[in-house]
Amino acid sequence: MSAENRGEEILSEAAAVRWEAGPNFHDSLMETIYTDASQVADRAVSRTDEQPRFDLDRTIDRLVTSRWLGFPMMLAILTVVFWLTIEGANLPSGMLATLLIDNIHTTLKAGSAELGIPWWLDGFLLDGVYLAMAWVIAVMLPPMAIFFPIFTLLEDFGYLPRVAFNLDNLFRKSGAHGKQALTMSMGFGCNAAAIVSTRVIDSPRERLIAIVTNNFALCNGRWPTQILVASIFIGGLAPQHMAGLVSAGAVVGIAVLGILLTFVVSWALSNTILKGEASAFSLELPPYRPPRVLQTIYTSIIDRTLIVLWRAVIFAVPAGAVIWLSSNIIVGDASLAEHFINFTHPFGLLLGLNGVILLAYVVAIPANEIVVPTILMLTVLSAKMAGMGEGAGVMFELDSETTTAAIFQAGGWTLLTAVNLMLFSLIHNPCSTTIYTIWKETRSAKWTTISALLPVGMGFVVCFLVAQVWRLLM
Amino acid sequence: MADPVTALVVAFALVAIVAFLFWPHRGYYWRAQRVRRLGGRALLEDALKHLYNFEYRSQPASVESLGGALEVSQNEAADLLVRAEERGLVKVEGAVIRLTPIGRSYALRIIRVHRLYEHYLSEETGVTEEDWHRLAEEREHDLDDADVDQLAFEMGNPAYDPHGDPIPTVDGEIAPQRGVPLSEAEVGTPVTVVHVEDEPEAVYAQIVAEGLQPGVRLDLIEITPERVRFWANGTECTLAPMIASNVAVVSSTGPVEDEEDEFQDTLAVLRPGESGEVVRISRRCRGLARRRLMDLGILPGTEILAEMISPSGDPTAYRVRGATVALRKEQALQIQINRTLEAH
Repeated sequence: MSAENRGEEILSEAAAVRWEAGPNFHDSLMETIYTDASQVADRAVSRTDEQPRFDLDRTIDRLVTSRWLGFPMMLAILTVVFWLTIEGANLPSGMLATLLIDNIHTTLKAGSAELGIPWWLDGFLLDGVYLAMAWVIAVMLPPMAIFFPIFTLLEDFGYLPRVAFNLDNLFRKSGAHGKQALTMSMGFGCNAAAIVSTRVIDSPRERLIAIVTNNFALCNGRWPTQILVASIFIGGLAPQHMAGLVSAGAVVGIAVLGILLTFVVSWALSNTILKGEASAFSLELPPYRPPRVLQTIYTSIIDRTLIVLWRAVIFAVPAGAVIWLSSNIIVGDASLAEHFINFTHPFGLLLGLNGVILLAYVVAIPANEIVVPTILMLTVLSAKMAGMGEGAGVMFELDSETTTAAIFQAGGWTLLTAVNLMLFSLIHNPCSTTIYTIWKETRSAKWTTISALLPVGMGFVVCFLVAQVWRLLM
Repeated sequence: MADPVTALVVAFALVAIVAFLFWPHRGYYWRAQRVRRLGGRALLEDALKHLYNFEYRSQPASVESLGGALEVSQNEAADLLVRAEERGLVKVEGAVIRLTPIGRSYALRIIRVHRLYEHYLSEETGVTEEDWHRLAEEREHDLDDADVDQLAFEMGNPAYDPHGDPIPTVDGEIAPQRGVPLSEAEVGTPVTVVHVEDEPEAVYAQIVAEGLQPGVRLDLIEITPERVRFWANGTECTLAPMIASNVAVVSSTGPVEDEEDEFQDTLAVLRPGESGEVVRISRRCRGLARRRLMDLGILPGTEILAEMISPSGDPTAYRVRGATVALRKEQALQIQINRTLEAH
């Protein structure tokens, strides 16, 4: 028999066997490989007796996942984390603001005046680029430097996976993964860092859901906007002694609305465009271990805080430049900013907002932190308020709520404007740092676009409906 | 400023128009796109497929059967045949319609794409089985040869699609028809499903609802002109003979351990503190979901101990090979076990 004949015989036999092997052939083969691998591992790996540790783990587990204690403990721990972040960040934020915005900025301005640098270069670099950067650092750095290490410590200890375990049923019903509870909490600190943290969700569909809906977790760049607007407009509605409580209630209401939207949008996504994505649930509950404090603080500051801060600064620089240029380049009888404001104002009114707010949200795409300073500067600019603010293109904030309220009133704000600004601040596109991070994580133009446009589209619809119904009823 | 009522009316009208134009899949724009892109090609390819399927089952195809399968009038079906004949794909001699060798290889190519794509949907995506056929029906006309070869390569050149239909090879080789219709099987001998016909959709949905798919074992109880009664997946099922004839079975002669056992306990029955030994992962659990379970070390013979239930009722944490892993109920139901009785 020639070799050629033999070869053909083998091939034809293989072709026949191929059909006979049946549809489950690949499955069986894979199962065998896995079984072999586990047998090899069982022979080669010896385990030390960890019984005492295991019993301790069981006791903690029984406590944190118990029917009665599980949820209250979880709420208490998260509340403490948020309280520490907000309270603890106040002081360093104020100090950074004094240092970077009041002291250094003033010194730099004085220095540049001495050197005789032309006003446009000095304005562009110091009032535009430097100020935007300083603002982002002052507002963003302290809360992130507090929040991320605490969160990482909880993770390291082994508590966070138990939170996911407790809440998974809720997320399962909206087509999401229990670990989304963690990425959502992280989003209350910073959406960009939270997008990176969705890596813990190892099922493709659930991870995309967590990424697209993360923006509905109110990040710390937006809390100050909410608190300021709520205390001026909504706190003002209540009697003096109740004002604080009412405005705090309004802000918490917005955050809760964000959580509700997370569930609703997760459910909608998993039943429409994400229906076909592959999905596989698994949630490992690692053994508890004493957190490695120093190492955790070091890595969480390097990996999370600084990387995100650096990205934010990179994006804040061009934003500062655009803000300054748009208010200082005069075309005809007004600056570019005023032209834009006048042009979009009718559209803004239709949404219950105004032209200033729309422009502020366009130029402040790089960082939510600079929305309020930009709105204040643009309002003063477009309402031509003499003696207010720091000049065209120079962002500012005021210590006094009354003066801030006066500027808003001069800008034609009503209670509706305030409510819709709070809603729009919750439901609009993620900042460009977050969008860039989504692109880095998904490498998909489609999902990046959807994550960016879906919330802003929803924001327009919500603000429009609220404005029309408000005007019908009032 | 616009009057709120006018604004609302205008907005709703705009939304309605946009929805009409761009509604996913069904919007006017998408339909127009599809028609322009495919022209008559999709219809022609569907016609070749129909002729091939009839030839494969040794049934005579006719203008009526073609019109019925493609949901077009008989005139249109006849036109289609004329066009196919002009291109040398079909030979019509009186009432007999036959595929030419070129037509047959064209049909096999489309069928290859269709079945490969169904296999891809079942293994690599989360698309549920009701939608496999419809999506493959759309995509089979779009994929070119390079895409298809790439797809086959990535799937490991599968031989069968998830319905048990053989996938033609690149050279157009295909396995002969296997099994007999369930409605003609012999009562009393255990049989195994080898193929489930995925058309028409309404019939397929009923078959899926009974949990029938390739690999499932049945015990026939009785066959009458009105109904076919059998045991499958641990319950008694009844199908109309017309529907049962869309399920092909062979008598189970192979070792029983390779088949799903209908009376098996699943992981979901374990209460905290109880344990069991894995027998197998159900065939319904496919692709990524199945690989994930195996990654976690859930394999035949693995000892699993139920540890605790989430305070919200689902998932449950299990101890598997020294690690604690939470699984949802729908996953636990896919893992068949033998209870370990002495453990308490």
